[in-house]
Amino acid sequence: MSDDTFGSIAHRASLRSGDRVRVVASIVAALLFLFPVFWMVLTSFKLQKDIFTSPPTFIFTPTLENYVSYLQRSTIPHQMLNTVVVAFASGIISIVAGTMAGYALARLRIRGAGFLGVLILMSRGVPPIALAVPMFLVGRAFGLIDSHIILILAYCTFLIPYVMWLMRGFFKALPKELEESAMLDGCNRFGAFFKIIVPISVPGLLSTLIFCVILAWEELLFAIVLTNRVASTVPVAIVNIAGDTVNGANWGALTAVGTMTVIPVVVFALLVQKWLIQGLADGATKG
Amino acid sequence: MMRNYRNFGSISRRAVMVGGAAAVATRAFGAQGSSALGTPESPVQLRVISDAAYGIAWQASMVPEFNKLYPNIKVTIDPVPYAELLAKIMLDATASQPTYDVIIVDDPWTPQVARTGALLDIRKETAAWTDPGYDWDDFNAAPLEATQWNGVQYGVPLRSNMLLMFVNKTLYKKAGLPEPTPDLTWDQYLEQAPKLVQDTNGDGTIDAWAIDTYFKRDALTPTIWQAILNANGGSLLDKNNKPAFNNEIGVKALKTHIALLKYAPPGGVSHGYSEALQSFRQGQVATSFMWGSVYRNSAVDPKTTTLKPEEVGLQVMPVGSAMAGAHRGIASGTIHAKSPNKQAAWGLLQWFSSKQGEKWHSNALGGFPARKSTLASTPESEWLSPVFKALQQGYDTIEKGKMWRLRHPKSDAVQQVLADAVAAAISGQATAEAALQEAAVKVEKILR
Amino acid sequence: MSSLKAAPVRTWHSRTERLTDFVSRWAFMSPAGLILLAMLAYPILYTFEISFSELDLSTFTATEWVGWDNYAEVLHDTRFWASLKVTGVYLLLSLPLQIVLGFGIAYLVNVEWAGRGVIRALFLIPMVVAPVVAGGVWRMMLDPLYGITNYVLGFVGLGPYDWLGDPWLAMLTVVIIDTWRWTPFVVLIGTAAIMALPRDIFEAAELDGANWWAKLWSITIPLLLPMIAATFIVRWLGAVKMFDIALAATNGGPGASTQVINLFIYEEAFRSLKFAESAAMAVIVLVGTMVLTAIFLRGSRMLEEMH
Repeated sequence: MSDDTFGSIAHRASLRSGDRVRVVASIVAALLFLFPVFWMVLTSFKLQKDIFTSPPTFIFTPTLENYVSYLQRSTIPHQMLNTVVVAFASGIISIVAGTMAGYALARLRIRGAGFLGVLILMSRGVPPIALAVPMFLVGRAFGLIDSHIILILAYCTFLIPYVMWLMRGFFKALPKELEESAMLDGCNRFGAFFKIIVPISVPGLLSTLIFCVILAWEELLFAIVLTNRVASTVPVAIVNIAGDTVNGANWGALTAVGTMTVIPVVVFALLVQKWLIQGLADGATKG
Repeated sequence: MMRNYRNFGSISRRAVMVGGAAAVATRAFGAQGSSALGTPESPVQLRVISDAAYGIAWQASMVPEFNKLYPNIKVTIDPVPYAELLAKIMLDATASQPTYDVIIVDDPWTPQVARTGALLDIRKETAAWTDPGYDWDDFNAAPLEATQWNGVQYGVPLRSNMLLMFVNKTLYKKAGLPEPTPDLTWDQYLEQAPKLVQDTNGDGTIDAWAIDTYFKRDALTPTIWQAILNANGGSLLDKNNKPAFNNEIGVKALKTHIALLKYAPPGGVSHGYSEALQSFRQGQVATSFMWGSVYRNSAVDPKTTTLKPEEVGLQVMPVGSAMAGAHRGIASGTIHAKSPNKQAAWGLLQWFSSKQGEKWHSNALGGFPARKSTLASTPESEWLSPVFKALQQGYDTIEKGKMWRLRHPKSDAVQQVLADAVAAAISGQATAEAALQEAAVKVEKILR
Repeated sequence: MSSLKAAPVRTWHSRTERLTDFVSRWAFMSPAGLILLAMLAYPILYTFEISFSELDLSTFTATEWVGWDNYAEVLHDTRFWASLKVTGVYLLLSLPLQIVLGFGIAYLVNVEWAGRGVIRALFLIPMVVAPVVAGGVWRMMLDPLYGITNYVLGFVGLGPYDWLGDPWLAMLTVVIIDTWRWTPFVVLIGTAAIMALPRDIFEAAELDGANWWAKLWSITIPLLLPMIAATFIVRWLGAVKMFDIALAATNGGPGASTQVINLFIYEEAFRSLKFAESAAMAVIVLVGTMVLTAIFLRGSRMLEEMH
């Protein structure tokens, strides 16, 4: 990965007028996309009676009540922890398995591998609802209902194809000489993969991991079907608030939960942002 | 023996402190010995599956109250979103070793769950553990029937509910109209409705409307139509379980439901439970056809509503050509037939549905009682008195007009078909006649 | 002679080697293969099985083979066809919109200045907001009575619009929310892709005196085509399964005008408990998705080869 791959057409010391237009336009686009997020955060500081005023209010007495009452729900910290465990565990397992498969598809010419790859990709076409019930039956047969492991494995089924396809493209972009020289130096195939290929792919791996974590983080259907209490996650808590058949949806509480579930992922993403773009560029271009 | 005796003594002392329910607890205890009801060394673990909406509140306040009487029964209530609750119940209840001892079922679900053989004949099988003062006959027929199927009683009503008419008296006064009474007819209601669409602060823009209720595509939207249908003497099915709604009465009821939209706030066609509740609480609508259980949060609790109890009237829905209208929605407690903790489970359900339990529930959480004696009693909170009156009225109406959703192993599939039909007609994508015709064909096919 | 003698030895030797080689190649495929096989084989077989059977709800097992009955039932249900049509309209509107918007914004964002990193990171947020919350916030903003959207549009003399009540506007609303949620994904891949373009081609073009439009039209876009196709396939596989946003924002209404196929399958299974019929629909959708994906993959390979 040489430096000039990253050279962009706009790599200039000062902005030209065309670039200035683009900067302004990109800021406008970002503001438009962030407005609903802003509205969510704003609502989370409102009392119920201020949320549904006509016309909408910008000036109101902010309250932390929504956050406080949310955190006081006894199940929430536990569900938060479960979400972190399940999202990262399924992300990491999917990265390991998906990356190896992606490498096999990109580099190791196996008879029928291309077909297998397409088949795995297409397994994402099965409507998730159809899978939830039989997966519950499998989990029940093995006594795994309401355990982290069943949820992690279920998430792996839709993350692995995604990782595999992305990493396949990423590996295809690497020069072949890399592992050839490593194998000449006495490494076997695994040595070459783990010592040479994986280290230079860390940015791509981390970026893929972020997307996996985001997808697993907000997954709802399998979380509802496969868990009851012990392994229950935050998205379940969110629908419990939204579908309140006693009080009606409490939008103050909902937006507070929404805001709080966004924060950890955004912080995590910011930390690895640099690698993210890089990894996506290489992984996705050849997909 | 000694240990049991000691245990027994400490319980009853505590029970005396708690109050009236002591008799139930001690008698059940004394009769059976304590092991089935747990000991301090090995408490019974009771698992309950429930709608999150009340399951969370029950865990927080009902379970501690119950544990004052039965300290050795540890109750864990798993809250599930309503939309997924039936499917979750079906999946768990059909296991060889089900997780849940107690299943809280919604009004139309008993036949669906009972058909799998998962539910205990609660009246027969628990007779030995039932306190003589429990009094099954004290229950109003309507709520108790929610868990009857093929002649078997599968559950007890824990949280009774029904569609009623909420009235914002202030808006009626502003429009110069008399406060509605239970004798209000649909014709009168629709005649008054235009006047209830008004500009209350005189700034030239309309800021109050006559009605908000279920209009959007939702499984509960047909219940409004069903309440009108029943009030006009119609019914969903005939005696041979064939659709009976695809006729003049059905069409007229649906057209009444559609007509309401004219007097609803802008965007009403996409309003359902939460939205209708919101506009009523904000004082934007004069009436709402809504589940009675929201009364406390709509009229009493200043955190959630702008209205006060004296402003909010509660009564049966308007009178049709046959009678007034309402619609039943009872959450009942059932016990799994394979539960190893049946006695403890019945301990929980028996206490919660007993006269004492109902009183505690309505006073502490505003939960609606099903017993005639509770409804005839004077509640602790003043606001509950008119509510109790409306509820008794509602039960009588419901029983008379059989105002409930289909009771059949396929009732939810039928409800979904009706939801599609009603939504299509309300949104103007089909005429009332065409929508009901199509629904009738589908319902007949489902029930075949 | 010697070569003849050596030949069997070499064959034997290479056979072991080939075996080791074969095993080591498959060792890379096996973790993914095993997890997917273990977790998906039974569920997919089960789905096929019950789609041809009657399901006993007291055991959740197939009882009686009914052939194509469930399929016939589904194919005769007007709601099924209506939801397929709704899904088609949704896909036709939202996929091109997201791809064009995503790459367009990616192009705009890709100017090197101090705030670029922050903008890129902020673009992640819409993807992370839980669908239920996102649907609710949009409902609040679009409400004809107290929503901010009509309030703002009122200042420029537009509206009021009933965003969730009018069938076409409701479809538009679902498309807008979905676009808001998933364009950021395209933006991120798009920025990365544009950054990865070789700089020398652009420099050569500049020496030839090409303006930015000519560079965009005759260099950037053609070079990006394979990448656009790849993003499209990833988005397509995600979008075809969408039902969370429709559920949260409109619940399929008004009428059935936003009832996408996966919402219908979900309702038939989880609300109506018609698991066999919903399995039949799932199989039909799976086959349809596979056929279309194959066509798209072929198309994207053609684009790659053009490049």
